[in-house]
Amino acid sequence: MISELKSWMRAMTQRGRLEAEMETELAEHVAHRTEDLMRAGMTRDDAARQARVELGPMLMHKEEMRTSLGLKWFDELASDLRYALRLLRKSPGFTLIAAGSLALAIGANSTIFAVGRQLLFGRVTVPHPEELRNLNWLGGKHTPGFGMWGEWSPAPEGGTIAPIFSYPMYQQLKAENHEIGDLVAFKGDSMNATVHGDAQRADVVLVSGNFYEQMQVRVQLGRPLEPADDVKEGAGTVVVISDGLWTRKYGRSPAVLGQIVRVNQQLMTIVGVNPRGFTGIKGAMDSPDLFVPITMLPVIDPKNWGKQPVMTDPNMLWVNIAARTKPGIKDDAAQATLGAKYESALRGTVKLKDGETLPKLVLADGSRGLHMMDEEIEKPIYVLFGFTVLLLLLACVNVANLLLARGAQRQREINVRMAMGARRGRIVRQLFTESLLLAGLGGVGGLMLSIAGRNLLPRLMENPWETDTAQIPFDWLAFGFTLLVTFATATIFGLLPAWLAARNEVSSQLKESGHQATRRRKAWSGKGIVALQIALSTVLVIGAGVFLRTVLQLNSVDLGFDPNHVLMFDVQPPAKKYADGRDVLLHKQLEQKIAAVPGAESVSPAWMPLASGNMMNSDFVTEDKPADGKNPPEFLNAVGNDYFHTMRIPMITGRAFGPQDTSSSVKVAVINQALSKKRFPNGNPIGKRFRTDDPPKGEWIQVVGICADTRYAQLKDEPPPVFYLPYVQQKEVGGMTYQIRTHTSAAALAPSIQRIVQGLDPDLPMIDIRTEREQIDATMQMERTLATLTTGFGLMALILASVGIYGIMAYTVSQRTNEIGIRLALGAERGQIRGMILGESTWITATGLVAGVAGALGLVRLVKSMLFGIAPYDPVTLGCAVTVMLGVAVMASWIPAGRAAGVEPMEALRHE
Amino acid sequence: MAQPKQEKQNDVLQGTLDLLILKAVSLGPLHGYGVLLRIQQISGEELVIQQGSLYPALYRLEHQGAIASEWGESENNRKAKYYKLTAAGRQRLQTETEKWNRMSNLIGTILRVTSEEI
Repeated sequence: MISELKSWMRAMTQRGRLEAEMETELAEHVAHRTEDLMRAGMTRDDAARQARVELGPMLMHKEEMRTSLGLKWFDELASDLRYALRLLRKSPGFTLIAAGSLALAIGANSTIFAVGRQLLFGRVTVPHPEELRNLNWLGGKHTPGFGMWGEWSPAPEGGTIAPIFSYPMYQQLKAENHEIGDLVAFKGDSMNATVHGDAQRADVVLVSGNFYEQMQVRVQLGRPLEPADDVKEGAGTVVVISDGLWTRKYGRSPAVLGQIVRVNQQLMTIVGVNPRGFTGIKGAMDSPDLFVPITMLPVIDPKNWGKQPVMTDPNMLWVNIAARTKPGIKDDAAQATLGAKYESALRGTVKLKDGETLPKLVLADGSRGLHMMDEEIEKPIYVLFGFTVLLLLLACVNVANLLLARGAQRQREINVRMAMGARRGRIVRQLFTESLLLAGLGGVGGLMLSIAGRNLLPRLMENPWETDTAQIPFDWLAFGFTLLVTFATATIFGLLPAWLAARNEVSSQLKESGHQATRRRKAWSGKGIVALQIALSTVLVIGAGVFLRTVLQLNSVDLGFDPNHVLMFDVQPPAKKYADGRDVLLHKQLEQKIAAVPGAESVSPAWMPLASGNMMNSDFVTEDKPADGKNPPEFLNAVGNDYFHTMRIPMITGRAFGPQDTSSSVKVAVINQALSKKRFPNGNPIGKRFRTDDPPKGEWIQVVGICADTRYAQLKDEPPPVFYLPYVQQKEVGGMTYQIRTHTSAAALAPSIQRIVQGLDPDLPMIDIRTEREQIDATMQMERTLATLTTGFGLMALILASVGIYGIMAYTVSQRTNEIGIRLALGAERGQIRGMILGESTWITATGLVAGVAGALGLVRLVKSMLFGIAPYDPVTLGCAVTVMLGVAVMASWIPAGRAAGVEPMEALRHE
Repeated sequence: MAQPKQEKQNDVLQGTLDLLILKAVSLGPLHGYGVLLRIQQISGEELVIQQGSLYPALYRLEHQGAIASEWGESENNRKAKYYKLTAAGRQRLQTETEKWNRMSNLIGTILRVTSEEI
């Protein structure tokens, strides 16, 4: 085996010498034999002739010698390839269309594969990620109320599952845990980082001091964070930066150690650099820039929405907890024991109300991070992958169609080859080599496209005001996938035409003239293939249509407020500096100053930006006992006086907030119509009173007005009941989002507002400057990305289909020139001829359309849950798709039809 | 004289040519023509090998590593390619020879059988 490989390699690499040696060896043989024969008495000439005759045909022997060395198949392949190359070069138009469409389809397919694989199966980059476990809690329908900052998702039966815990809970579990490795706390956050005087938004991960040790992550420079760093709150002013940040800002200089970075307002010293491509353990797509000790949170990013600071509040859930498994301890056992500790810890801080149950601790696989997005992105990715598979199939069918038409032209060549003794298999192999070459060209193009695409695609899924640089690494499996797809395409589009071309009977074919012999059958299979193309394109176009319609429907949702010309940004005053109501004062000042800026029509801060996915609720206990005795919590928002005017939310009755509502005046509220209907079904709610705490401690709040309903957290959800409070009547408000109605562009207005903010507090950043439109667009990011990509694929499908129709009709016309000539000579009108050709293409299209619509209706049903505002059999989409397909069919066959109508009868008849 | 010659050529069965070549070069390095001569000589001119099939067989054996080749000078001072047996070839010659002997014994036994013996 090895000697064969060696000998083959030698033969391959020293081909010239090998050929010369074979020549010499055989010549030597003849010379020896000649001498022997002369010695036996022959003359030189006779002897030489006799020697050559005895040896036999030298060419054949040499061929057999090459076969012995295993060179024959390679020689044939090489000659096939040379021939194929020459053919492709001879018809550059065909090559470009075929290889180009394959490249697009393979590229799209490989991109979705690579991105999808990373999104759905990518692992975090720590050693042995399979050992990682995340702590989750699983709550039933009625769990005690907690404040939550972080991830959660609905669980079956109305429950909730979430990977977030209070910091005291983390500390207690860490101390008591023996079941799994030491518990590691981490929290991803977004902060303002100033590096080299350049302020930017950065992804920061706050981690417990044991993070690097437990996760076995080795920094490439300096030292990691250590347990000593998180001992004292606010004392561990050290940071480990990412490889990316090190490269971008410090040119990979080792002098980076000891440099100062300002994170929010806090000065931090760089002590280390993370390994390249380090994702942290939150998600495989993350590339956080800064790792800081978790006990720095109160200093860097004080979250003061609870009653206590987050680090000590047992009712504020926010920190993620991970650990490695311990060898020999099963997950079930660890979960049970640790769960019991969790439950007893909870009992110490939580008072259960009637019917409420304690959540249970669940250990979840952490190898891919928290992967909370799975459910949201799984379906879109499979849908996109399905699209690209169909597109690839379409491209294959397209190339098969083009090859069939060419095959018909080459029938004579193939017949001659077979008549001269080529075996059928040999011919199929030659034709298949051409297909492989074509697919190879497409594959190379596709690979390049997919390398470009895999970095482009994640960018489509980001908010415009955030700059996440998620990178999809090059991945050998994805490369292998591209290779496999390329071979598969060659097989799909190459084998059928090759087989059809080679199965003919030689004798019958040579007798007839080329095109007569082939027309009957080839035209039929060609038309069938085009109908298939139309059907596939129809499916893709309808698919793109429903996703496009979904976005259009989302865009035309009646929001209940006017999202145009509204500039937004957040201001987060640090809790320490703005304690005891100083934050309310700050917002009041800001509100006044911004209102005076030229270009700003009106302004109002609010706790909850609308349609941003954020929500907040509180108890809502009415003074009058409700009929059913229940007082469920309701959504709320704390806003400025000008809020309803700024957002263009109409007041129905009563008044909006005004300057008379101050911290010392009677507490007031505005409720929306939905809340009025739900909680005050009998009579006028104006003047009615309620409290937001249970059991009641604070003051009564009086309803002074009713406003119209608006969408609240989600664009897709019907407007829920909401009540509004003036922020100036709150004890503390913390961070707020500013809404500014303006006709000036964000870029023009932002600097003057920035000056105002910095004039009040130079360390206070404006965060996430965006427009309300952008905010809304961001909540439908998935739908928009899906619509953009599927529309792109749909367009490609249309182009491929039109190429297919054009190809087959042009071929049909050229084959029928003779017949058309006769028709014209016998008196047919040119218009009739044009109609005949157009009619034929319309028939083919109609057949494909029927099949395509039927298929699409079945498939769209599968993605019903991803649609909004339309039925799966949306008549508008179907109508548009059918019209577009028919239009494309007519357009694509217009030129061939014109050519048919322009045939000169005399020329056509002479043509034969 | 022409008739037996025809028979001789057919005698070289498929597969046995390899064995004969191995045997021939096991007696000492030979060039292609030499292999031909030696087989004929050993067989007492009884066996004639089709000259054309010799070289593909030589190349195949060398490809498989049973023989190795080297360019040298022939007896009349010309360049010639000499083949010699490798260790693997010697091994193969031995097993093939044993196989051949077993087979020929077997066939011989079968052919000697008379009706009484059954």
